Amino acid sequence: MYLKKEFKIFALLIFFGLLFSLFYNSLFKKKDFEPRVMIGKQLPNLSSKSLFYDQNINIKQIANNNLFIINIFASWCAPCKIEHPFLMQLKRKKISIIGINYKDNKKNAKVFLKKYGNPYQEVLLDNKGELSINLGAYGVPETYLVDKNFKIIDKHIGPISNQFVNKVLNSK
Amino acid sequence: MRFFFLIYLFLFSFSNANEVDTRVNTISKNIRCLVCDGQSVYESNSDFAKDIKNYVKKEIKDNKSDKEIYDFLTSKYGQSIIFNPPFSIKNIMLWLTPALFFLIGVYIIFRRLSAPK
Repeated sequence: MYLKKEFKIFALLIFFGLLFSLFYNSLFKKKDFEPRVMIGKQLPNLSSKSLFYDQNINIKQIANNNLFIINIFASWCAPCKIEHPFLMQLKRKKISIIGINYKDNKKNAKVFLKKYGNPYQEVLLDNKGELSINLGAYGVPETYLVDKNFKIIDKHIGPISNQFVNKVLNSK
Repeated sequence: MRFFFLIYLFLFSFSNANEVDTRVNTISKNIRCLVCDGQSVYESNSDFAKDIKNYVKKEIKDNKSDKEIYDFLTSKYGQSIIFNPPFSIKNIMLWLTPALFFLIGVYIIFRRLSAPK
């Protein structure tokens, strides 16, 4: 009888110990972002006005049957300046890049591209953030790698680096 | 007659706008701001939160149901964007644990009360 009671207490202690460690560990688990949700999915239909001329553009219509990149940027975004040389590097390697200009002033965006160089084949305006939501974006900068069948094969949150450039060149 | 019609139109559009705002608030309170710490989209003023609120408002005006809005957002950002996730096999423990503890509590109380003194 005495042994049975001790066993019960022991079992309870183990149960609560396990429960405690489960909840304690989940406190430190990174749980907010699921940035890979869009990877493997088809690129949604994205169309908007061009930054350079008054015409609606659909990304799927301008992509030239090859691997390409979609980059969300803004002139007011400091990390966008950091990643800009890498985008220029990709352009030199003949990778097509389509820009999405997020909540920006048209004039500032044009000055930005004139000052740092224009790596984009085309730039679409996203004044209300609708294109970004459709892409499952969290903010700027954000970069998507899309294959010729319009399947999203990779996504990078924050400024891209040499590592991403190499990944793109290897996927070509 | 024309005067009353104008008043009716005014009141109708006012109540409709109120209804839209109420729905936007209800939905955005259940959507997690993914770039903030522990805040809902309703509470946050970040660009991400503003974009989501605008999107929800636009969809409500386009007569989309709550389910369609939630389905779209989870397809883009995953289940973690919703504070109150739907019942599924993945989160079965989340839903069953409180009920399990309640039943254990009831069992213990019942045992105590029915034990011979």
